[in-house]
Amino acid sequence: MTMIDRRTILKGAAAGAALVASPAVPRAQAPAVKIGILQPVTGALAQDGEHGRLGAEIALAEINAAGGIKSMGGARLEMVFGDARSNPEAGTQEVERMQGEGVAAIVGGFASPICLAASQAAARYDIPYLVDVGVSDQIVKRGLKNTFRFGPGFGAVTSAALDNLVKINDEAGKPARTVVIVHEDGLFGSGMAKLLQAELPKRGFEILETVAHPTPSRDMANVALRIRALNPDLVIPSSYYGEFVLLARTMQQQRIRPKAIYAVLNGAASNFRFVTEFPAAAELVMDCNHWPDHRNPKTAQVRAEAQRAGKFWLYNTPLNYSSVMLLADAIERAGSADRIKIIEALNSSTFAGHIMPYGPTKFVEGQNQGAQAVNTQVQGGDIKIVFPAAFANAKPIFPAR
Amino acid sequence: MTRLAIRRLACGPWLSLAAAALLLAVLPALFASSAALNFLGFVMVIALAALGWNLLAGYGGQFSFGHAAFFGMGAYAMALLQVRLGLNPWLALPVAVALGGLTGLATGFLSFRAGLRGSYFALVTLAFAEVFRILANAMAFTGGAAGVLVPLRIGAAQFQFADKATFYWVALGFVIAAMALTRLVERSRFGAQLVAVRENEEAARALGVDTVRVKLKAITLSGAVTAAAGCLYAQKSLYLDANIAFGPWISVEALLAPIIGGLGTVFGPLAGTFLLLGLGEGTKTLLATLTGSAVPGADLVLFGALLILAVAFAPRGIMGVVAGAAARIGGAR
Repeated sequence: MTMIDRRTILKGAAAGAALVASPAVPRAQAPAVKIGILQPVTGALAQDGEHGRLGAEIALAEINAAGGIKSMGGARLEMVFGDARSNPEAGTQEVERMQGEGVAAIVGGFASPICLAASQAAARYDIPYLVDVGVSDQIVKRGLKNTFRFGPGFGAVTSAALDNLVKINDEAGKPARTVVIVHEDGLFGSGMAKLLQAELPKRGFEILETVAHPTPSRDMANVALRIRALNPDLVIPSSYYGEFVLLARTMQQQRIRPKAIYAVLNGAASNFRFVTEFPAAAELVMDCNHWPDHRNPKTAQVRAEAQRAGKFWLYNTPLNYSSVMLLADAIERAGSADRIKIIEALNSSTFAGHIMPYGPTKFVEGQNQGAQAVNTQVQGGDIKIVFPAAFANAKPIFPAR
Repeated sequence: MTRLAIRRLACGPWLSLAAAALLLAVLPALFASSAALNFLGFVMVIALAALGWNLLAGYGGQFSFGHAAFFGMGAYAMALLQVRLGLNPWLALPVAVALGGLTGLATGFLSFRAGLRGSYFALVTLAFAEVFRILANAMAFTGGAAGVLVPLRIGAAQFQFADKATFYWVALGFVIAAMALTRLVERSRFGAQLVAVRENEEAARALGVDTVRVKLKAITLSGAVTAAAGCLYAQKSLYLDANIAFGPWISVEALLAPIIGGLGTVFGPLAGTFLLLGLGEGTKTLLATLTGSAVPGADLVLFGALLILAVAFAPRGIMGVVAGAAARIGGAR
């Protein structure tokens, strides 16, 4: 047995002191804040879900790299991911699992039915739920205190789309008068068609025909031929990705060239996959949709991150990036992972560090008041904002022929 | 045979049911997390739909691909009676179940009277469900494609329970009742006639069984039980649209579970649902903890592989395996 000399004891004491002192180093000690990210990454909506998840991941990585939540001693944000499997029941089950894991808040959902069910499940536990896309106006009209939507709702988007259409048409000397509406027969397409049928005649347009098609559809030749026969000035499609791509390609092959294809919340027209894979069919297609603010230098950074991950540039990524940043700001101001405090912080949020063209956030009954859709147009293989003028980086090319 | 043995024989089928009920009732004590309780509640809803399907297909041999029609009828009736007519859900429940039974009777009347059997009957039921789906998607009364939201009003009087375990126990009550109904049918004259129709319809008719009448009774019961599952679903999720209520997913779940569990048995649908959904949830949770769900859909691949194995090694379903094992033990004794 060796004797313990004074030097050894001193060394030990020093080490002990260092150990005790180490909590002063904040990043090593603050417990992580768990954030639930809910996206449909399998099933029919997998493309959107994957890109939404990517946006959330970029935001979380950025926040953690910048030192986490400073008001909580540099607490890191930890993702608890849930696959909503493209149906509301699976979304609800994932919310229950996230509750079990003790998340501070949930972001995502994508489709309206998933958002409706998941936010309601989260409401039982007062989990703040931030809807990323889901445009159904019901989402924020149920009086749920926990539910917030950063992006615009259906009503706001469609009225903007109609107003913008009239302005673009007027500026070009009113070349367009007749319209054919093509829509998918689900929640989004038929709702849109009904609204357009009511509103377009009031604004001086004549609807020649409304063509409904199911999702999925494997052939759009009949729809295209009908459009050729009617020869409208405008085609307004409200369809998901696959069906619209098919329609645009068929119209291109059959040389059906209306004065414009003016889409509203279209699944493809604001999607770089479509623009990259079918540039000729995509050229000059207009869309009124979610789109990030190109003037914000952050937008280019997020886009570069998305491309580095080998992904296309879709609106899901900037919307989810912005939503997670907004939530992180609320947690920062709440200074706590307490759900009620985060809800309060979201209610008083004036966050401007996002990359959407909305201005500072302001929630009234869960809806971000500044949220708005913009008009995009595919020009020269790029997606440009053509309207409103404040955000535009190109002039609309209208009529297209 | 002693009197005791006779009594045991008579009680046996009921005793196993009571034992299962007791066992299932204590499950929430073992799995207390809200995720587990939510999952168990969902299992009960699907098991109830599967029990309904099993009455018609398992005992009567009439394979339906369209039980979504009954499920959706129950779900929509439950939701719309509350939202549009302001009915209390406990009053809406019997009306919705009766409507489900009526839908069963109507579809059965139209297809059995026309002499449709086998795959033709299956296709017609599929078409019925699709017609309902399209109607619910298009009509303003059902909320169209936007669906219906049942307002969140937590309270036992509103059939909405603050505690997930309570919903589970209520749903379990329905499942046990449906299993008891199945047992009653199994042991009744009607049940014997139904099995006779399944085994050989011509022979049954030759023996004086009114086959159309028997089949109509079965599809009415089946429709009512599956509609009850729809009612429970409506109260559980509080949101319906045409694809949820009348979509093919529920038709598939309702038929897969009894086929995997054991066709024409009392316990088959429940056992099948537990295996089917349990595997799905189990693989998802396992891969989520192992990989942080880095590979989307990997759980579905594992689920598919396990399902193939289950069906390959248990062609007569879980109840077939149980019966085989019981016979082996009995033989060894």
